Amino acid sequence: MATGTDQVVGFGLVAVSLIIFTYYTTWVILLPFIDSQHVIHKYFLPRAYAVLIPLATGLLLLLFVGLFITYVMLKSRRVTKKAQ
Amino acid sequence: MTKLTQWLWGLALLGSAWAALTMGALGLELPFPCREVLWPLPAYLLVSAGCYALGTVGYRVATFHDCEDAARELQSQILEARADLARRGLHF
Repeated sequence: MATGTDQVVGFGLVAVSLIIFTYYTTWVILLPFIDSQHVIHKYFLPRAYAVLIPLATGLLLLLFVGLFITYVMLKSRRVTKKAQ
Repeated sequence: MTKLTQWLWGLALLGSAWAALTMGALGLELPFPCREVLWPLPAYLLVSAGCYALGTVGYRVATFHDCEDAARELQSQILEARADLARRGLHF
């Protein structure tokens, strides 16, 4: 078995993914079948956000990946220019 | 047919089925809860796939079989090799 921080990080990721999955499943799949007067609807945002938040997060992720690639490419070009 | 074309075909079929059902093009009167579940379905499948990937990576990191003795042995061998090469004139 892995040790120390590896285990903590690994199981932490598992826990995070399970939490996100159960919350999102309840939001998208279960809530439409629950009576709109039930108290559970208080814990969930309006339904449109169920698509907007993942979309915005995905675009942000793409932005960070693009910025990282640009940064690495610029750095490598500067290193080759200095070596010439 | 290549794997890519297979995937694209599958996506196109499922996507058109979803679009037809969501926009009521088939003239089916689905009950309200079913329609409410249907239209965020692509986003839901993407998020679930992402959660599954994240959970699998985390699980594999946590249950990876470390070999501490082999790791220590390897590190000492690396130090030995470095010293040996430095003696022969190759410096890192």
